[in-house]
Amino acid sequence: MLLPHAHTLAQARTCLVALADAASSEDVSSAYEHVLIELDRIHCDESPDIYLDAVTQDQAIQFEIATLAIEGLKGYGVDALSVELVLWMLEDAYSQDCA
Amino acid sequence: MYGETGTAMRQELAGLLRQHRVQQRLGGPPEAREEAGLLIRQYRQNVLLWCSQAMRATSPLTFSNLAPAQPNPFRAVGGGGNAATPAGELARALERAGQQSTALPATSEQVTTPTGHDVIERWRESARAASLAEHDTASEVAERMTAGQAQVVVGDVAAITQALVVLDQRYRNTPGWEQLAQSARLGWASLAAALDVNLRQPDYTVDELGWRPKTKIIEGPVKEGILGVLQAEHNLIVRMKSFPNATNLRYIIDSQRLLSRRLVPFAARIDPRLAEVWSDRADTYATLQQQFRRIGGRLGKGGYAAAEGANAVSRIKALPTDTVVEPRVLGGFQLLFNKLDRRIADVIEDGIDRCAFLHRVTLPRVVGDSGGLVAPVRERFMPVNSAANPELMETIRGRLRPRQGRATPTPGPTRADLHAALIHRPEPRTSGLEL
Repeated sequence: MLLPHAHTLAQARTCLVALADAASSEDVSSAYEHVLIELDRIHCDESPDIYLDAVTQDQAIQFEIATLAIEGLKGYGVDALSVELVLWMLEDAYSQDCA
Repeated sequence: MYGETGTAMRQELAGLLRQHRVQQRLGGPPEAREEAGLLIRQYRQNVLLWCSQAMRATSPLTFSNLAPAQPNPFRAVGGGGNAATPAGELARALERAGQQSTALPATSEQVTTPTGHDVIERWRESARAASLAEHDTASEVAERMTAGQAQVVVGDVAAITQALVVLDQRYRNTPGWEQLAQSARLGWASLAAALDVNLRQPDYTVDELGWRPKTKIIEGPVKEGILGVLQAEHNLIVRMKSFPNATNLRYIIDSQRLLSRRLVPFAARIDPRLAEVWSDRADTYATLQQQFRRIGGRLGKGGYAAAEGANAVSRIKALPTDTVVEPRVLGGFQLLFNKLDRRIADVIEDGIDRCAFLHRVTLPRVVGDSGGLVAPVRERFMPVNSAANPELMETIRGRLRPRQGRATPTPGPTRADLHAALIHRPEPRTSGLEL
C-alpha cells in the first residue's frame, strides 16, 4: 500500500468512525460499523489507524469526505465493484441516520 | 458427569431400601424368584465393580483424618492406598466381595434392556448408572481430583456399600441367594470410612467431573420467535470453539451489542434487573467495538460464528415488539451470554498472548532510504500488548468477563435421601379394620 492510498483509506476510516460514534441510533451506528469492517476486509485488514482529532464535527461533511475517499480508492487498484458496494452500504446507513 | 450417575445410583438404591417384604414383591414360584435373584446379583456385581474401581482410582488421595502423629516424616502415615486407613480397609473388603461372588457382572444387553419388573428394574437402573459412572471416576478423571473431591467419592462409595449390605440381608431368603463375602466386615469398614471422610470439609464440586456429552449445533429448521434467537446464540457459542480473526470478531462483537440492546425491552417487562444487566452488556460491547477499530489481525477463522451472530440479530429484529418472553427463556439467554462473554474474553486474552492481534499503524511515514525506485510506506506491525493497553484489559477483565459468582456446591438431595433410607424404619402394618 502506497502512502496516498493509505492516507485516503485513513481519511475514509476516520470519517466513518466519527459518523458511527455520532449516529442517531444503535442500528445506524452498527450500519456504519459494518461499512468500516467491510472496508478493512477489502484491504485484508491492513488498514491504517484513525486520527479523530483531525476530523470535522459536521456529519454532512463527514459523509461527503468519506464518500469521496472511498470513491478515490478505485484509483489505487481496489476492485471497483467492491467500492461501489461499500458506497451503497454507506449511503444506506446515512439515509437511515437522516431519517 | 459424576453428579448425574451418582445421583441415579443413590436414587435407585434408596428406592430399594424402602421396599420391604421382598419375596412378595419378587413374586412367582421359587424357580422364578431364583432366576430373579441371580439377575439381581449380577446387577449388584456391576455396582460392586464400580465401587472397587472408584476406591482404586481415588486411593492416592484418600488420606486418613485420624492418622496419629508420626515423628518420622519419611514414614507414610495414613497415606494414599494404605490398607491401615478406613478407606483402604473398605477398598480391600470391596475387592474381596467382588472376587468371591460367583455371579458375573450383567452384560451390556442385560443392563440396557428393561425387565418390566419393579424390583429388578431398580437394580438394573443402579447397575446402568454404575457402568456409566466408570467413565466419571476413571483414573484419568481421578488424576485431576483434589483430596476433598476424592473424600466425597469415598463417602458415596461407603454409603452405597452400606446400602448393599442392608439389601443383602433383606434378600437372603431368596432361593439360591448368595450373600456378600464377609458382609459384616464390609458394613463396618464402610461405616468407618464414612465417619473418617466426614471429619474433613467435603468438596462437592466432584459432581461436575467426568464425561459429559459434546455440545452440538442445533440443526434443522429455524425455531419460531424468540427460540430462533436462542438457537442462533447457542450455535454461535459452539462455533466460537475456533479462534476468530479480528474482522470476524468485530462482527461478533457488533452482533452481541445489538442483541443485548434489543433484548432489553423484552426483559424489562419480566425482570428489570436482567434488563439493567443486559443494558450494561450492550455498553461493554460498544466500548469493545470502539477499541477494536484500532486493532487488526488475520490469524484465525470464525466465519461461521459471525454468520450465527448475524442470524441472531436478524431474528430478533423480526420479532414483534409485543412478544412476551418467558422467564425460563430469559434465564437461558443469561446463561448463554455468560458462556459467550467468558469465551470472547478468553479469545481476546489468548490472541494478545500469542500476538494474533496487531495495532494499526498511525499515519504511515515514507521510508526514504529503502533503496527502491518507489518509496514504500513504512509498515510497523506492533502486537497488542496487555501492559500498554490498560483500557482494553480493563474492558475485558473488569466488564466483559462474568463474575465468578458460583453458588457453593451442595451435597444435593439424593445423598441425604440415601442416608435417610438406610436408617428408616418400615411403617407398622395396619389391620385395615380400624374405624
